[in-house]
Amino acid sequence: MAHANLLTPPARIPPQTALQLSQKAALVLSSAPTSSLPWPLSLLFSRETPETWAIHENLLLAALRTGDDAAARQILDRLTTRFGAYNERMIALKGVYDEALAKDDKDLEKVFNDYEKVLKDDPTNISVRKRRIAVLKSLGRTADAITALTVLVENSPTDAEAWAELSELYASTGAWGQAIFCLEEVLLMMPNAWSAHAQVATLHYLSSSASVPALTLALRHFARAVELNDSYLRGYYGLKLVSQKLLPLLSESSGSKRNADEDDVAPPKLQSVKKLEEIATAKLGEIVRKYSASKKSQSGYYEAEIIAARELLDRDGRSER
Amino acid sequence: MGQPLVQTIHRDPALFWWILLPITVVMVLTGILRHYAMILLQTAPKKQELPKIRQQRALVRGINLRGNANVLSPASFQARKAYMVSAFQEGKFLAEPDARGKPRPNPMSDPAAMEGMMGMMKGNMAMMIPQTLIMGWINAFFSGFVITPCSLAISRHLANRCCPTVKLPFPLTPQFKSMLQSGVGTRDLDVRWVSSLSWYFLTLFGLQPVYNFILGSNNSANNVTQQMAMANPGAGLMGPEQDPDKLFLSEAENLEVLEHRWILDGIEDRLIAKMAA
Repeated sequence: MAHANLLTPPARIPPQTALQLSQKAALVLSSAPTSSLPWPLSLLFSRETPETWAIHENLLLAALRTGDDAAARQILDRLTTRFGAYNERMIALKGVYDEALAKDDKDLEKVFNDYEKVLKDDPTNISVRKRRIAVLKSLGRTADAITALTVLVENSPTDAEAWAELSELYASTGAWGQAIFCLEEVLLMMPNAWSAHAQVATLHYLSSSASVPALTLALRHFARAVELNDSYLRGYYGLKLVSQKLLPLLSESSGSKRNADEDDVAPPKLQSVKKLEEIATAKLGEIVRKYSASKKSQSGYYEAEIIAARELLDRDGRSER
Repeated sequence: MGQPLVQTIHRDPALFWWILLPITVVMVLTGILRHYAMILLQTAPKKQELPKIRQQRALVRGINLRGNANVLSPASFQARKAYMVSAFQEGKFLAEPDARGKPRPNPMSDPAAMEGMMGMMKGNMAMMIPQTLIMGWINAFFSGFVITPCSLAISRHLANRCCPTVKLPFPLTPQFKSMLQSGVGTRDLDVRWVSSLSWYFLTLFGLQPVYNFILGSNNSANNVTQQMAMANPGAGLMGPEQDPDKLFLSEAENLEVLEHRWILDGIEDRLIAKMAA
């Protein structure tokens, strides 16, 4: 894993990294971000840059995550003195802080009511809208969260984050069709995001793991993910899993002539699926081998993923024997 | 003409301290002052209303669909296209559905546009007023200067007008004369001599890197070019002068005629070929 950096933290922060990040709080807090000189001089000799505040913001999130509430409070105060309490972003950050410190559902309800008030004054504050949805989620009101998110994407349909979140919520309720639709919106915005391709594939796979058209789509999206990133473990994992499921179905149906025009996607050729399965197996084996040979922190893979891949390979080996 | 004479003008060394340096320092300070004045004069960008945001982003969504349609399977693309085209044609995403089909109001009467113009006016004023003042100051103080004994005959004559204050350390072609010796009416004076008024102009246009160094690259100290660029704000995607309904209709048409090709078609063979290679 790359060295944790507060300015550009990784997209996915595992607990250890979060801890590493929040331990930098003392360092950041030890030096004042703004100059202590009187007014005209402070303009000339200011050390603050936009990066200073990006670091503060990321540190705040890391500190809240690791339970360092005192440091979080200090950072929040700094940000508030700099940007004022009514800054759009500050309202959202303050909300994050309140949410993290909420002890029970009652506290969360209170935060939720605050958000409602803010939104009544300014319905365009998208970040507060998102926080409100997050509170709904942590209160367990998934249906309400979905409704709120549909309103959000209705008003701001270019928000990939919101679409992805909505997809996840739909998937958690088992509404696969809607979930897939939402993720396809994400794909339309970022057509080369291999993780989004893999996620679409996963949803197709989960939606019906025994029908050929769904599995075909899953296979193709996994293949696309691998095509975009040829060291993408999740892509190979999915490729192998799906093709294993697909092989018996295809060989079954190849005997009886299927009416292919019914589906809008033609099923792949048996040969190709076999080949893909072999490729995925070989690649997974290679990744697992390399991972155990090299230093674990440098390979860029997460241990859990490697364990899952190894397990999949083992299962395969056992069934062959 | 034989060898060109090397012109020497015996300048008072105090010229450097009393003309060159003050002009430069004053110019730098005005730039810094202007930067902060601009920050103070700036009004926060006006918040867009929710329907406006929705209108603009819906259009972007349509453009996204057109641009990246090849990630979708044919069925899901057709469904989306049908929905978007009909929604666009019905004007479902318009911020003001009632204003559909009516001619656009005159931008001069639109208060939002007026505000933008006021902002521009303020910027222009912040640029013009100091310039006028400083130019007047330079003319008043530094042009009637008499330098102490000058060896050349011409110096008598130019001393009344505007004195050469600095000599550039490199040779220049005569074309620079008008640039470097404004206010000096001599033909034969070496181009390398720079008059104080010209020095003012040089600093006016040439201090941008200095401001960048002092104030950061994003400053508004010397924003001649910025003013030019700002003359036509928001002319891009959904400017005030464009009818959103027309944009939606043309986007619907674009979607109608789009030829769809699914990028996942034949991906298996593509991947196998890639991996084999």
